Amino acid sequence: MRIESRDQFTALHEAARKARAEHRQQILVCCGTGCLASGAKEVAEAFAEQVADRGLDAEVGLFVKSTGCHGFCERGPLVVIQPSGVLYTRVKAKSVAEIIDTTVIGGEVITRLLYKNPVDGERIEDYSEIPFYKNQVRVAMRNIGRIDPTDIEDAIAEGAYSGLARALFELTPDEVLEEVRVSGQRGRGGAGFNTARKWASCKAAPGDRRFVLCNGDEGDPGAFKDRSIMEGDPHSVLEGMIIGAYAVGANEGYIYVRDEYPLAVVNLTIAIAEARKRGLLGDDIMGSGFNFDIKISRGGGAFICGESSALMRSLEGKVGEPRAKYVHSTEKGLYDLPTVLNNVETWAGIGAIIERGGQWFASMGTEKSKGTKAFSLVGKVKNTGLIELPMGTTLRQIIYDIGGGVANDRPFKAVQTGGPSGGCVPEELLDLPVDYEKLTEAGSMMGSGGMIVMDDRTCMVDVARYFLAFLTEESCGKCTPCREGLKQMLHIYDRLIGGDGREGDIEAIERLARGMQLGSLCELGKSAPNPVLSTLRYFRAEYEAHIHDRACPAGICRELTAYEIIEEGCDGCHACFKACPVDAIEGVIKELHVIHQDACISCGACFDVCPTEAIRTLPKSRLEKAEVV
Amino acid sequence: MTEQPCVDLALTDEILERYPLEEPSLIQVLQDVQRAYNYLPCDVLIKVGEALGVPAAKVFSVSTFYKAFALDPQGETIVKVCTGTACHIRGAGQLVEELQRELGIGADETTEDLKFTVKTVNCVGACAMAPVMIVGEKYWGGAKPARVSKYLGTGGGDAN
Amino acid sequence: MTTLTVNGRRVTVPDDATILDATRAAGVDVPTLCHFDGLEPWGGCRLCVVDMSQEGWDEDWFKMVTACNHPVAEGMRVVTHSERVLATRQVVIDLLLARCPETPLIQRIAAEHGIEKTSYEPNPEPTDCILCGLCTRVCDHIGVSAIASVNRGWGREIAPPFHGEPPDCIGCLACAEICPTDYIEFTDGHVTRTIWNREFEMLRDPVTGQAVITTAQAEYFAERSGVPKAYFETSDSSKRLAMAKTFAALAVKE
Repeated sequence: MRIESRDQFTALHEAARKARAEHRQQILVCCGTGCLASGAKEVAEAFAEQVADRGLDAEVGLFVKSTGCHGFCERGPLVVIQPSGVLYTRVKAKSVAEIIDTTVIGGEVITRLLYKNPVDGERIEDYSEIPFYKNQVRVAMRNIGRIDPTDIEDAIAEGAYSGLARALFELTPDEVLEEVRVSGQRGRGGAGFNTARKWASCKAAPGDRRFVLCNGDEGDPGAFKDRSIMEGDPHSVLEGMIIGAYAVGANEGYIYVRDEYPLAVVNLTIAIAEARKRGLLGDDIMGSGFNFDIKISRGGGAFICGESSALMRSLEGKVGEPRAKYVHSTEKGLYDLPTVLNNVETWAGIGAIIERGGQWFASMGTEKSKGTKAFSLVGKVKNTGLIELPMGTTLRQIIYDIGGGVANDRPFKAVQTGGPSGGCVPEELLDLPVDYEKLTEAGSMMGSGGMIVMDDRTCMVDVARYFLAFLTEESCGKCTPCREGLKQMLHIYDRLIGGDGREGDIEAIERLARGMQLGSLCELGKSAPNPVLSTLRYFRAEYEAHIHDRACPAGICRELTAYEIIEEGCDGCHACFKACPVDAIEGVIKELHVIHQDACISCGACFDVCPTEAIRTLPKSRLEKAEVV
Repeated sequence: MTEQPCVDLALTDEILERYPLEEPSLIQVLQDVQRAYNYLPCDVLIKVGEALGVPAAKVFSVSTFYKAFALDPQGETIVKVCTGTACHIRGAGQLVEELQRELGIGADETTEDLKFTVKTVNCVGACAMAPVMIVGEKYWGGAKPARVSKYLGTGGGDAN
Repeated sequence: MTTLTVNGRRVTVPDDATILDATRAAGVDVPTLCHFDGLEPWGGCRLCVVDMSQEGWDEDWFKMVTACNHPVAEGMRVVTHSERVLATRQVVIDLLLARCPETPLIQRIAAEHGIEKTSYEPNPEPTDCILCGLCTRVCDHIGVSAIASVNRGWGREIAPPFHGEPPDCIGCLACAEICPTDYIEFTDGHVTRTIWNREFEMLRDPVTGQAVITTAQAEYFAERSGVPKAYFETSDSSKRLAMAKTFAALAVKE
């Protein structure tokens, strides 16, 4: 059971590969959080049951596997049949029998379950042909969707720990460091600090005891790549950490997982237990003489704990208050000891880098941003989900080629990147190649990789306000500019969206923004003004409309927006009546419907469902002048 | 702080056996306490502080800093509405409003009969399924205000 | 020893000095609020920000840092009153004035920075607490930790556990004494002292009736210093008074 030498590892790897190759077919059912929410568990159970009942595993050589997140969450539950590569979407448990009969045994596809390309309406059989998957280059996410994350042999069969074997038996710690340096990998958590440099400075710090930590606190709303990696391929994280520990000379590691990711905690716990059993964690790893073990620590629900010094305080059982960065955590981190903290995706890439070489990684990407990056493409885009691409891919390629374009073919307005520390990138910059520098120049940042697509039904003032409201709740409260500044900035924005904007508000916002950027203690406060400043930079006209005209051009801000039904367009389908949460619409089927302005709360639910676009928005101030219905 | 019922401290002893009795274990212990009692009872917090060697003031400080913890009894079923960016632009606010109409409570509030607590949470990482509502352990993706009573299991509302 | 410049003027300070030490050595006044000599610097109020440039950096490349806790370095250039430093300090004090519009100390510092009235929304419930953390920090320093910060963000406040009587408090008044805005209330009677809603019995000189320190505080220091409790309980009133005065003096020195 325990692997005590490299030869034993290699033998296990080959045996595992062989055992899997013997399966004539594999049925992979995605069981990431998204698909589970759509009923994937029932689908996986139905497959397992029926395959066993019908003796198919013996007969046809069938293998049913629950995998981690494929990334195409909105189309879930997802099922992939290998080796044919057929992808079925929105699979329900009741379709399982049909799939087994028709596709698995019969070799034919069920068209209605195939992915339908929203761009041209064509059904696509082979998932590797689907633009969403075709253009991806998966490094950190290399095994997600192909392995059962709770089965270590499955992971080993697909290459897990092969990088570790090379590191422990072919390379010295310094050589491992060098390989990572050659790769040019930069931290994937948001700051983009050079990984090798961080490790080197920890290695050089004096002392006997040091730590390697994994930041699994993915707090950026809109980002879920770390969740998918921790759930779908926890071994990639463990492997990376063991290699990193070997390089810097640490024997203890922690994975800090945010409280909101229970499945990640479960799968990581299983993976660690399995790794220990096999001698891949603990004393004398693979018989190499190197000792290292990992513990999991759950977060308590605080975005600030994604900040490295706050995370370390949280690990120490304290409140998540950041420290000034004058003394680097690579010298004085956890318990004031030398510590390396890296993001989940960063760790997940290390095994591949060591196995395939730093040069290979550096051959992808741009001059200063090497390799690939995971993105969560969400919001008003047709193909929402998780993707991994070489750095340098343009926003246009991501949103249109892979994402299939804006949902409902509405006009594109902006894409928000970098979470609450990031900014909005407008249409004129869609050809921006995505890398750390370019996004920062444009007034945004890479952040965790969240990309939120926004259409014309998005008010940029409201977007900035949203992030301020978010951060106001998450500020630790230690320093004045952040604690008080966010609150005051939010006050101003509440007035803007409430129709009480004043002359001088924009200047006040800018002055406060500068004060926060320069005066705040940590990056939460310092980068909090980014969404504010970037929306001001590219969408100033919207701010001015709110202030001078008491109007919301996007028709979103409720205090400023009224809805009315256009007589010529209405065919009396009654959809708006059903959607209205406050019964403000009057109408009989097949006849003109009418919105009662005194009852209407301007939520826009009717607008969203009207099939003939017979509802329009107008500034409330104009309505007040017109006849009241 | 509201009147707290008597609690069974034996559960706390059990929890304390799982971890080293030192300050770094505090948050993990409190997580388990929250899960076991559905909130953090005063008596338990005092006991935990004593066992881990953490001053009461610091235990209270940590209990009030992290959103995962509640100092008052929570409802039987916790209803979480994700208010991450993707969910926000896909109408999370409307879900919260509908819950207000349906249950008569807002975020971080509990119904009188202690059946439901509504919470807004920052991004549960299911952004592609926005907007997301979690009732107990069950995730509802693409949630619609009109179906809220169905998600709650309180009857009414049409089926899929 | 380390040599650096403050506003162009050379100063030499110990290697482990902070920028604030250097500015003081240079005779330059940098305002502070959460700083207290003898306590670890905290860097929370952000009033003491200065611009600094390390040796080898470009002529005009500066980083804004807090003077109270940033270490000095050979060849560092510190600028204490550049335009952007002053602008940042103004935002800080303006924000504090919004939070504490009726607090004399804050009004004074604001006036010194040219601000008579806050340009932000004044706090609907004005408070004198500026959240400088000095009270909790001195309490931690003494080793008692009776109070701590509660909640986070704008709702943050200083309180005893459960907003009730702090079980660990020894009634030493260090928090009230160190508070720059006298926010922490206490009443000192003959027989008892009350602070944080908790009543403490006072140790009194039996001759003059003068209340010296609380019995809780005396016990605490007896324990900390290892002095046998017998000394403390002696019936000899002069010994008791001498002991009490010694402990009181200890409290101030620590």
